[in-house]
Amino acid sequence: MFATLTNELREMALEQVQFRELLLQITLRDLRVRYKQTIMGFGWAMFMPLVNTAVFSVIFMRVAPLDTGMPYPLFAYCGLLTWNFSAAAFRFAVTSLTGNSNLVTKVYFPREIFPISSVIVSFIDLLVGSLVLVGLSVYYRVPPTWMLMVLPAVLLVHVCFTVAVAMILAMANLFYRDVRYLFDIVLTVWMFSTSVLYPMSLVGGKTGRVLALNPMTPIIDAYRNVLIRGVAPDPSFGWTTGVTVVLLVMAWVAFHRAEVSFAENI
Amino acid sequence: MSQPAVMFDGVWKKFRRGERHDSLRDLIPAIARGVLGRRRSNDLQDEEFWAVRDVSFEVQPGQALGIIGPNGAGKSTTLKLLTKILKPTQGRCEVRGRAGALIEVAAGFHPDLTGRENVYLQGAIMGMRRAGIAKHFDEIVDFAGVHEFIDTPVKRYSSGMNARLGFAIAVNLDPEVLIIDEVLSVGDMGFQRRCVQRMREFKRNGVSIVFVSHNLQAVADLCDRTVHLNGTVRCVGPTTDVLDDYLRCDPTASAEAPTTARVSIRAARLTDRAGAPVAEVTPGTDLTLSVTYGVHGPTAGLTFGLILHRSTDGLVVYDANFEPGEIGMTSSAAGEMVVDYRLRANVTRGLYHFECHVFDDATQTFLHRFNPAAKLTVHEERTWSGIADLSITPCGRSIPEQLLTATSGF
Repeated sequence: MFATLTNELREMALEQVQFRELLLQITLRDLRVRYKQTIMGFGWAMFMPLVNTAVFSVIFMRVAPLDTGMPYPLFAYCGLLTWNFSAAAFRFAVTSLTGNSNLVTKVYFPREIFPISSVIVSFIDLLVGSLVLVGLSVYYRVPPTWMLMVLPAVLLVHVCFTVAVAMILAMANLFYRDVRYLFDIVLTVWMFSTSVLYPMSLVGGKTGRVLALNPMTPIIDAYRNVLIRGVAPDPSFGWTTGVTVVLLVMAWVAFHRAEVSFAENI
Repeated sequence: MSQPAVMFDGVWKKFRRGERHDSLRDLIPAIARGVLGRRRSNDLQDEEFWAVRDVSFEVQPGQALGIIGPNGAGKSTTLKLLTKILKPTQGRCEVRGRAGALIEVAAGFHPDLTGRENVYLQGAIMGMRRAGIAKHFDEIVDFAGVHEFIDTPVKRYSSGMNARLGFAIAVNLDPEVLIIDEVLSVGDMGFQRRCVQRMREFKRNGVSIVFVSHNLQAVADLCDRTVHLNGTVRCVGPTTDVLDDYLRCDPTASAEAPTTARVSIRAARLTDRAGAPVAEVTPGTDLTLSVTYGVHGPTAGLTFGLILHRSTDGLVVYDANFEPGEIGMTSSAAGEMVVDYRLRANVTRGLYHFECHVFDDATQTFLHRFNPAAKLTVHEERTWSGIADLSITPCGRSIPEQLLTATSGF
């Protein structure tokens, strides 16, 4: 049982290596198409979280002041930027299979390429948007610390978690188109259940204990810890890492097994 | 014999009619059914049908296999099974070596990307590396003839340019097995000719080809063996035999005679000069087509036509009309009359059929069209393609050297 699973995982990984050129080209295609015939181009990747940061800064600094232990714009931008990476990847991945039905029904290649390329495209936006974060850090005089060395680990867990959910969403929407609509609602609720705009520690009681299970909160908190506070991620980050590993293996294997029936069910 | 490059072994494929439960509302009952009822994969559920039933064939390296059949016969399903897009319900299919599939030449194009960007994208979809595409890039653009538009988004391309570019990319890949679906139906004549030429080159280089087409002449030109599909394999074998079988079940051929006509055609018989019925000959054979006419009125002002069609594509190989006097139909007495059209079968290998008709010049209408009047299959291995048999006898002569130097002076 375990041996067959290992074999399957190896085969899946080999397939990705074999088709890496296609992953690159599909990603390039999505990147080019995304900002074709726009004037701002990649500027949009910075603009959207900046506007949101400004709006929420007014709310949480003037209307209902909030103590976050750091300048609020920095807190909000860091949360929005990293959350938006996942949210954009999910939004993109949901329709990535159904939107490419002509390829899915006409050409054979590993279908994982579509959700994975959705994640990569959004990741580029994250990189572009992080320039603003650097700017804000300089403005608020937040010095870089040795904790930056932990950043790659945080990114890795974040990307893997996003890939896992993206695969599930893409596959689910292929079989049931309801997923796309349902997902819009879920994404909004999910964002307000994550420490994007306010620390989750403020939510106490039973609700707080349930929300503590949300694997996205430790990821976003970990970014703030290593980038701004200069401390190690909270212990809850371990929980998220565990969830991510299990989820990624399950999602990928499920995707791989369902893949053969995509063409006739799309 | 070497290992087959393509193997299809007892393959069955089941599909569902109409929409499957696409909405979550229908999911719960479906799961309940799935848990309660033990489904066996080879039983048909409601609304299910077999698109492909027990299909088997093989293709050896360097061989071309044609797949023909009416719409809905499972041809495209077979190709999608071969290219791993679909998975068989039962049975095994295998392609050895790198497969290049041309199921739709421009399937991967994105309208907002330029021609250049699409070349790289489509190349990657077909399994080429960036360096490989870059090496062939100029060749691809040349073949497609889209130089000045290569940096224009393909949404501004004409459909012909799109198809040419798609095909140009496809023919520059280096496959061991080529799987082709109806690419000949897009594009103009020059494009189709290049297409067939390129496939012959592939075949000479040992590439195995599986070719689906409604263009029977293209199948006859290219394929060694052919499968006639109709859900299941109706007939498999050498191309000529299978095409003959396929044309036989063409429902459009009719031979009914209007009884009220002044002159109608009762029967036609193809025989050799000795009078024995024939259907298969070699080029240059002397034949007689005996046509029996039923005469009920005056024959003046009528024309008697004789046409030879190539059955695989309907091409008119020969078409001539005869006056009543020319065929000895001078009497206006009622009765039957037989005309022997003596002819020589100066045609190359292929499937042919005769059509006879009676035409009224005064009303410009056919009194009777008799098609097919007789069938003719010609066998030979000399020609590569073509129709007319020129009975060529090559003969080499050596030219003495002093003569050569004397004539090369001008």
